[in-house]
Amino acid sequence: MSVRVRIPTPLRALTGGAAEVTVAGGSVAECIAQLEAQYPGIEQRLKDENGDLRRFVNLYVNGEDVRFLQGLETRLRTGDEVSIVPAVAGGGT
Amino acid sequence: MERYARQVCFPGIGEEGQQRLRDAHALVAGCGALGTVLANVLVRAGVGHVTIVDRDYLERSNLQRQILFDEDDLARDLPKAVAAAEKLRRVNPEVVVEPIVTDLNAMNVEALVAGVDVVLDGTDNFETRYLLNEACVKHGVPWVYAAAIGAHGTTFPIVPRQTPCLRCVFAESPPPGTLPTCDTAGILAPAVGAVANLAAAEALKLLVGAYDKLNRALVWLDVWENTYHRLALGAPVPGCPTCQQERYEYLTAHGGSYTVELCGRNTIQVVVPGRPRIALEALAERLRAAGPVTYNENLLRLQLPDYEITVFPDARALIKGTTDPAVARTLYSRFIGL
Repeated sequence: MSVRVRIPTPLRALTGGAAEVTVAGGSVAECIAQLEAQYPGIEQRLKDENGDLRRFVNLYVNGEDVRFLQGLETRLRTGDEVSIVPAVAGGGT
Repeated sequence: MERYARQVCFPGIGEEGQQRLRDAHALVAGCGALGTVLANVLVRAGVGHVTIVDRDYLERSNLQRQILFDEDDLARDLPKAVAAAEKLRRVNPEVVVEPIVTDLNAMNVEALVAGVDVVLDGTDNFETRYLLNEACVKHGVPWVYAAAIGAHGTTFPIVPRQTPCLRCVFAESPPPGTLPTCDTAGILAPAVGAVANLAAAEALKLLVGAYDKLNRALVWLDVWENTYHRLALGAPVPGCPTCQQERYEYLTAHGGSYTVELCGRNTIQVVVPGRPRIALEALAERLRAAGPVTYNENLLRLQLPDYEITVFPDARALIKGTTDPAVARTLYSRFIGL
């Protein structure tokens, strides 16, 4: 399944500046594995040592938070859009 | 009413909405890039009482994006909340603009939030945001999260127990080193302005009661990459420690004195809650022997060879020249007394 993944600004250094990439994956977990294969280092920004999604990063499939779907096991279909949305703290004054 | 003529004729506001704004009390937490834009919108829109809370004083690098400040304010060494209030009173003398120069912490946040009609987020760290979130959820006050860095930013409104709260959406704050920081990523005025204006629009809707128009989504925008996304936020998350379990961990966290590192500023803030107000003139006399001292009614500044200490009447101090809390506490102890 070929899906589009929206890369937030803070992670674009890992994707060579790309704001959107296309990867194959039948599930969100597979999608992340594919991202890691193409852009090493991105996985640990998304998942912790236990393999769980980091709690300050949200993943959305077609605008729906995967926490309310099947989490990392959420199935994907061709044409789906995955958005990675990290918490933003903002700058100092 | 001539002042608000162009706003009143907007169908979403009308005479009734304008009256609700006049009767409303908003709290703007933080008066930097986000906060100045937020406060500016609210005061010009005629919100009857706007309280601006900020712990900090002005620096020249603020002027690039903090729209309420100018060189005259800088020359007078004003705290941001005070400078903002003075400027906004000249913009709209019909409303009350109340500056509070203080650190938002577990000791004072509830008193500041309770009874207010909306809280606007102009802060720069998650610890304060979780604190605001807990206070707002506990007291049933709607608030609008907003944050910007580099050329991107994000915002969403929170109506306690109706929409996801901050902890529903971001269960944990990013640990240090995981996301861009202020000293590496910079910040563009249009980015923070765009986010703050969106947040201010949500505040106006909340204040006039236009709940059907609330943007129940996380907005992410990037003015350099030319993106704008809305991600729908559903309902509060079952089991959320804040809005479902009511475990107010941040509200009950702090007891005695504590330090806060000011991001990118080589400065540590020392907060000592519960101290009697410091008479800055008397302190200035005691400190003259230590180095050049200047003071006004808002703050005192002591220049040491390697550090600069700024003291506020509420006994809070900003120790510039170190990022080591122990060093900051030692200096505080030595010159002010712990």
